[in-house]
Amino acid sequence: MSASKSRWADDDPETEAIIAQQKREKEEKRRAKAEKQRQLEESRKAQAAAKHNDATPNPSGDKEPPMKRRRLSNEPMDAEVGQDQEKVKKETTLLRFPVRGWETCRHVDNFERLNHIEEGSYGWVSRAKDITTGEIVALKKLKLESSPDGFPVTGLREIQTLLEARHSNVVYLREVVMGNKMDDVFLVMDFFEHDLKTLLDEMREPFLPSEIKTLLQQVMGGLEFLHSQWIMHRDLKTSNLLMNNRGEIKIADFGMARYYGDPPPKLTQLVVTLWYRSPELLLGAEKYGPEIDIWSIGCIFGEMLTKEPLLQGKNEVDQVTKIFALTGPPNSTIWPGFRSLPNAKSLKIPSSSTSASSNPPLLPRSKFPFLTNAGLGLISDLLALNPASRPTARECLSHPYFREDPRPKPKEMFPTFPSKAGMEKRRRHHTPEAPKRGQEAPELDFASAFGCAPGEDSGVAGAGFTLRLG
Amino acid sequence: MESGLKHLSNALATPNQLSNSSSSIDGVPPELETSIRCAGAQLTQAAGVLLGLSQDIIAQAIVLFTRFWLGADGGSLRIYAAKDVSASALYLAAKLSFQPTSPRSVINVYTFLLSPDASPLWFVNPRGAPDEPPAPETYILTEGGYQSARSTLLRIESVILRALGFDTHVALPHAIALTYLQTLGATKPSVSRRVIQHLNTALLSPQLLYVTHQPNALAVAAIYLAAREQGVKLVDTEWWEVFDVDREELGFLVVGMQSTEGFMRAEKGRWENKTIPLVVDTVEAEIEKGRMLGEGE
Repeated sequence: MSASKSRWADDDPETEAIIAQQKREKEEKRRAKAEKQRQLEESRKAQAAAKHNDATPNPSGDKEPPMKRRRLSNEPMDAEVGQDQEKVKKETTLLRFPVRGWETCRHVDNFERLNHIEEGSYGWVSRAKDITTGEIVALKKLKLESSPDGFPVTGLREIQTLLEARHSNVVYLREVVMGNKMDDVFLVMDFFEHDLKTLLDEMREPFLPSEIKTLLQQVMGGLEFLHSQWIMHRDLKTSNLLMNNRGEIKIADFGMARYYGDPPPKLTQLVVTLWYRSPELLLGAEKYGPEIDIWSIGCIFGEMLTKEPLLQGKNEVDQVTKIFALTGPPNSTIWPGFRSLPNAKSLKIPSSSTSASSNPPLLPRSKFPFLTNAGLGLISDLLALNPASRPTARECLSHPYFREDPRPKPKEMFPTFPSKAGMEKRRRHHTPEAPKRGQEAPELDFASAFGCAPGEDSGVAGAGFTLRLG
Repeated sequence: MESGLKHLSNALATPNQLSNSSSSIDGVPPELETSIRCAGAQLTQAAGVLLGLSQDIIAQAIVLFTRFWLGADGGSLRIYAAKDVSASALYLAAKLSFQPTSPRSVINVYTFLLSPDASPLWFVNPRGAPDEPPAPETYILTEGGYQSARSTLLRIESVILRALGFDTHVALPHAIALTYLQTLGATKPSVSRRVIQHLNTALLSPQLLYVTHQPNALAVAAIYLAAREQGVKLVDTEWWEVFDVDREELGFLVVGMQSTEGFMRAEKGRWENKTIPLVVDTVEAEIEKGRMLGEGE
């Protein structure tokens, strides 16, 4: 498609630089040619001019015998420029949009169901075979009951975003099929052998640093694409990342995904599974942006490093406690304005005397003993309390962490694992479910955020602050 | 890069879908189908305005409505009522937007617009909106009537989704056109206004411009037309190529957009003092009437 770049095709700066360079070269060539032509024109002024009436653009350029390029015009310069313009015009290739149509849904009987995979909060997934092609796919039945407003908007958004988010690190929605009843709706997606959650549960040893890098890079690539399309995922977690035995990982389950804008619209705070939910959501921010996905990625990164979910809160209050235990409490320097968030009013935080050397401050080294400094820097940025301090997905991709040794492991070199999804029913996960749509946003009382269950939570003591009760 | 263009482009109808609509297979005469489709688009527009929806939602609903009837797998006017498809398309488009609306609001508005006594729409109430408000029962539903209308609204929503394979994405030319105008340095408000008018009129085009051309082409054609009408000179070069539209496509679209007004006049003449059938029964009656006339000749 490089020949058909148009004005609005978004190019990376490198391509733009190349294009600019080509343009400059072309311009120079044209000028040189015009000059040469003018000289030729002058030297042959005496010769008969009416021989050739040449207006056709000349693809072979300078090598053409000058005789052919004679013209009737008295103004060789202008004529030459005109001709060149025509030539340039002929070279333009118009951008053609990908040809796309629509087709009526096929019937689900075109698929033979093989085995059940799992039940998520938004539907049942099974492994199935396309009867006509023999391909193995994942068939996800959408839960549609109890919808007084017709087809649930979450299901519509899931389909819409998946249809538009075509990327190598986003699960591929092949088509939507229907059963006999109008509310039997199935998504047909590429089948993947694993999800990251189950894989981490089953593995004896965590992934190697080089493997983590490859996986994280792919997830970041997928997320960068989603955000570039103004899609927020809003439920990133390890069980929503699908993996195959070729080292490829894809973002799945768009049940919570939606389009957003800039400035961010007012949206529900009841998104993202608790353990992966960002502090601004927990503190009740009504306006939030793609930074919430970046926070989730930070949690996923931590989980890949330790094989354990990073922040396993029992409820919202406990989740906030655990977050602050890891990152240190917020203050108005590292997170200006957090006090005005609805749920922050009940939050009692001691004024921390220790001023952090960096903003956002580095996470405690002891938590990730085997991580390089660059890696620790990255995860500390991802898990910055202040959403504005978190890097964008694009910025993350160019982080030094991905360039230092050990380098990301080539996908082909990835180990393979026995697939749970392939043959047998999976055991139930213990990750809490994503919040249900339509629930009331809870008014949370964080007064006890630092006071509950002393002794049980070693994080409180380790976080380096004391409690001011009452 | 291709996927990056997705939000700027649309799924288009195939030639096969355009020449073989489900209605034509079922024996609905093509002129009648065109009239009903156009009336349905106007109904959707009017309802959207009464519901206070923004024009992008209304335009998306009209495009979904238009797509629904195309192709052998699409909806047939002998099976689905145009008024129901209009209402469900609007409800669906609003649901997907930042401005969702309730089934009750949609049904109230459609009941009013389809009332033969109260409606201001010429193809529903040829006498025009009455000066005195008519009796409320002529445009207000009973609770029972509401319940059944609601279940129809939600059922047809699913029918539309199935027919379209759940592809509800509609990219519109309006915002694109404004960007192009800025790029061209044509900032005169009268031109911009005229561009938007042309783009909204094109939603009613019998040539179904929104399902046969990409939004960038529609935007360019509207700008070309508006600039000419307003006597604003744009750059000398073939600027439309910068926006990836060739002369041929531009020419076709300009003619198509210009002809919509004449088409609408002809429609008004053809259906003078008559109503355009928007439900299955009246469509059947209209087909039967046409057949009788044909045999009588």
